[in-house]
Amino acid sequence: MTEKTNHPSSGTFMQAPEDHIPLPPSDADVLTTACDYCTVACGYKVYRWPTGKQGSMAAKDNAFKTDFPHQQMFGAWVSPSQHNVVSYKGRPHHVVVVPDKDATVVNNGGNHSIRGGTLAQKCYNPSNRTSERLLYPMIRVRGTLMPVSWDLATEVMADISKYIIAKYGEHAWAIKMYSYQYFENTYAITKLGMTSVGTPSIAPHDKPSGTNDATGLDDAGINSFAASYQDWADCEVAFLSGVDPYETKTTLFTQWMMPGDKKFIFVTPHRTMGVAWAESTGRGMWLPIIPGTDTVLHLALARIIVENGWQDQEFIDKWIANKWEVDSGYGRGTRNTGWQWRTTWGTWQTDWAEYKDWIMKQKEGELATAAELTGLKAEDIQKAAEWIAKPKADGTRVKASFMLEKGNYWSNNYLNTTSLSAVGLICGAGNRPGQMISRGGGHQRGMMSAGGGSGWLSPEKYPGRRKKSFNLDRWMMNGEVRFAWVFGTTWTAAMMASQSLSDKMFKLTRGNPHQIHSLDREAIFEVLKQRVDSGGTVIVDSDIYPQEPINTQFADIVLPAATWGEDNFTRCNSERRLRLYSKFYDAPGEAKPDWWAVQKFAQKMGYDADGSYAWKDSNDIFEEAARFGRDGVLNYHPLVVKAKEDGVKGHELLRGYGTTGIQTPIRKRDGELVGTQRLHDPKNDWGEIEGQEMQRKWLYAFSTHSGKANLLKSPWGFKGWSQFYAAAQPRKEKGEIWVTNGRVNETWQSGFDDLRKPYLAQRWPYPMIIINPVDAAPKGIESGDFVQVYNDTVYVQTGMPQGVKEDDQNFDNLLKDGHIQITDGQFVAVAIVSEEMRPGVAMANFNYPQAPANAIVHAVPDPVTNNYRYKLGRGALTKMGESPYKHSFTSMSLKPRDIV
Amino acid sequence: AAALKALKVDYPAVKIGKLSALKKGMPLEFAYPYPDVSNMLVKLGVEAGSGVGEGNDIVAFNQQCPHMGGPLQGTYKDKHQALGPCPLHLTTFDLTRHGMVISGHSTESLPQIVLEVRGDDIYAVGVQGLIYGYSSNLAGRRA
Repeated sequence: MTEKTNHPSSGTFMQAPEDHIPLPPSDADVLTTACDYCTVACGYKVYRWPTGKQGSMAAKDNAFKTDFPHQQMFGAWVSPSQHNVVSYKGRPHHVVVVPDKDATVVNNGGNHSIRGGTLAQKCYNPSNRTSERLLYPMIRVRGTLMPVSWDLATEVMADISKYIIAKYGEHAWAIKMYSYQYFENTYAITKLGMTSVGTPSIAPHDKPSGTNDATGLDDAGINSFAASYQDWADCEVAFLSGVDPYETKTTLFTQWMMPGDKKFIFVTPHRTMGVAWAESTGRGMWLPIIPGTDTVLHLALARIIVENGWQDQEFIDKWIANKWEVDSGYGRGTRNTGWQWRTTWGTWQTDWAEYKDWIMKQKEGELATAAELTGLKAEDIQKAAEWIAKPKADGTRVKASFMLEKGNYWSNNYLNTTSLSAVGLICGAGNRPGQMISRGGGHQRGMMSAGGGSGWLSPEKYPGRRKKSFNLDRWMMNGEVRFAWVFGTTWTAAMMASQSLSDKMFKLTRGNPHQIHSLDREAIFEVLKQRVDSGGTVIVDSDIYPQEPINTQFADIVLPAATWGEDNFTRCNSERRLRLYSKFYDAPGEAKPDWWAVQKFAQKMGYDADGSYAWKDSNDIFEEAARFGRDGVLNYHPLVVKAKEDGVKGHELLRGYGTTGIQTPIRKRDGELVGTQRLHDPKNDWGEIEGQEMQRKWLYAFSTHSGKANLLKSPWGFKGWSQFYAAAQPRKEKGEIWVTNGRVNETWQSGFDDLRKPYLAQRWPYPMIIINPVDAAPKGIESGDFVQVYNDTVYVQTGMPQGVKEDDQNFDNLLKDGHIQITDGQFVAVAIVSEEMRPGVAMANFNYPQAPANAIVHAVPDPVTNNYRYKLGRGALTKMGESPYKHSFTSMSLKPRDIV
Repeated sequence: AAALKALKVDYPAVKIGKLSALKKGMPLEFAYPYPDVSNMLVKLGVEAGSGVGEGNDIVAFNQQCPHMGGPLQGTYKDKHQALGPCPLHLTTFDLTRHGMVISGHSTESLPQIVLEVRGDDIYAVGVQGLIYGYSSNLAGRRA
């Protein structure tokens, strides 16, 4: 068919969609796994069989035991995106990766998102774009990456590492790592960095520093992943702060939250599908907040509740720490608590009696003032307070749960999280079914740290004597990093002021005159010595794909990683559900799991002399790491103990739990393993402990000294916030608006897989920016145009400012003292002009290396928590011209996301 | 284009409507290629991929959501030339761009019914994309 069109540039190329797929035969191998992407981690089944045969449409002759074709809703079906051909034991095999129809948890009945639904397409197959996988270790010679052996690559790394550690100290040897890509890998990496090298220079993928996420929750005594999916189903009102779970935690929303008559309050400047649907059904309200002002909304809500006496007094009397309990703790007093660790001036802590008075004195909490600051309607704030707290006609309380995600804690980390925890607590949420305060979650929970952190080696400190967590970005910007091993993260595109960070890393690596010019081990050592002695840096990058610019430009050594489906791995989802992610096909080329690369390097360094890196397979690490998670909410140690008693491998015992898995922390009762549905719930108090575990108070009480929750104040005028917020405002004279960033349902993270999946690449061939017509029209911007976003004043905090006096680390003093450098940043994206955004706020794709929306965001961390204010970008928009997608029929739909 | 032509070979040509009877934004339902496979024919009013008629704006799509088989009957949104949201999990489809997912969970575009105009008659002559619940659009069945 030739496509007729009236428009000359309607690019009409499209791969003809498949109109058939092979069905798995009845004797196909079946393995269980879970999705690799979002925090929900739906259960999946992999059907695998050799090429050359297939099942037939009769139920008796296919693995689904289903007659095809059918038109049965929720029936067994394989979409073309769910099939691939892979290598297994060196021979071609069909694989079909489909959501588990037998699942009774998480994605009951086989529900799934578009991301997980296309998992099969991420498997290596040289006939599609997965052929771009890194296949062998490489060393950059005169700018070009050359294949080498694993031995040479790791020997070169060890030679220069030993030199650097001896001459510059362990501080100069850094790790930038994912915190989620399976317990086996994160344990191995942290064992190397924290235990063997002992460096403080380690940061996770999503922060410059190993600091808290939702810090105010931690300080209140609430674990960020205390809730279970059942709690999100059981609540009657869900207050959703900085998140539409439909977009980024899809199955949690569609499976657990949509059914029934629950009400939703969405606090986000973006009206996405979840918001639009909830509004259209009369079950939701949209609070399109001005970025950064959530705290004011929370103050207003709390004040309305207190004014009307709608607080849950019974809960408060029982579970909120009083003045004495706030100050108690292990005989070391109040200074051994989170907020006192960060500052010692008593700004935050309070008790109910004092809080009541305090909240009534906050002028930002007055409805009219709050409405003005947040940009919300006063009547909507009032209505939201009624929904979450006003007792029903019969006097009973509504069950409200509170979810927060990055729109909340990545704009105003400490104030937004403390103030939300206070609103939730006075509504009686935090430790019982359907009444919880939790994060929604981003990545799955795959961090199992070997511990031995070196926080005391951090050069930064708060006013007083307290050390501040180590900031790796600033350390890099200061030129103190001589060696960095990067594991599976874009680093620059994910961090703030990303172009200035990128410029610096280029200067330290490819911009340094000392470049490797041969593959002789000694010659490499000589040139890298000259590199680091002249102030330069050596970067090693482990990844599965070329990643601009970290391994395409900066890294001297690039190591190919084996990933999901290519080894047996484990991790938990956002309700702490532990599953085995089965290996089901061969890793491509010489690609190896990161734990294997760490082991190889550790051997070259001599760290294995005591046998501490003698792992034969990933199960060995799973079992070793179990002991290191015993203090935490991801504790699976009892499972490993039971496996040993049963004489099986830990991974194999877990395999038997299939896609159901088991929720951590795991305990033992009558000899059986028992999971934990929710944390802090008094029902978890079993009294006597069976087996080797210790009693953990946070299982059945809040995570504080007293077991009661800390009610925290959050003064809007706190200078650690207010000075920065004033400086970060969009400037009218420059024509700027807020340019925040976030994700869309159809692609995950930086799109490392999705950009290579044919269907998703067609849907989103290029990053977008969604702009309200009010902001687009004056600039002549239409949907489909390329738009540049430019910020000529991007603040970057530099140096290692020591806090001595109270205000030393607040923005105005940092600027005065020369610790704020002014840079600029820009990116280009495809415009989608739509009323789904609040006027004055545009939203761009987060963390796309080719369009780093973070380039226009300030690299000035929250002085209380060392977390960036990721969402608070600003910029002026300029139309660059039409993108090829403006008139295309085949790529990139430009329609709004809120069609209902 | 060659692939699409080949794809049509095995499909029957079935008359499903008349140009003169179509009103913009008013979908008509029809079955194709089997009596139990429900589709919709619509004049979008704007040009669309594989659109037929003078304005290249007449298209037809299957009405079963390729996510989990939800019914899309009666969900056409004329303002945006979109089908959906699916009542099960809210997927929406862009009918100007070959049924591409706008927002949601379907891992495929909505199967598009290939159309041909013969005089005033509109014929369905093929299906582009695998129909939900099928392992092959034609295997094992007679149209």
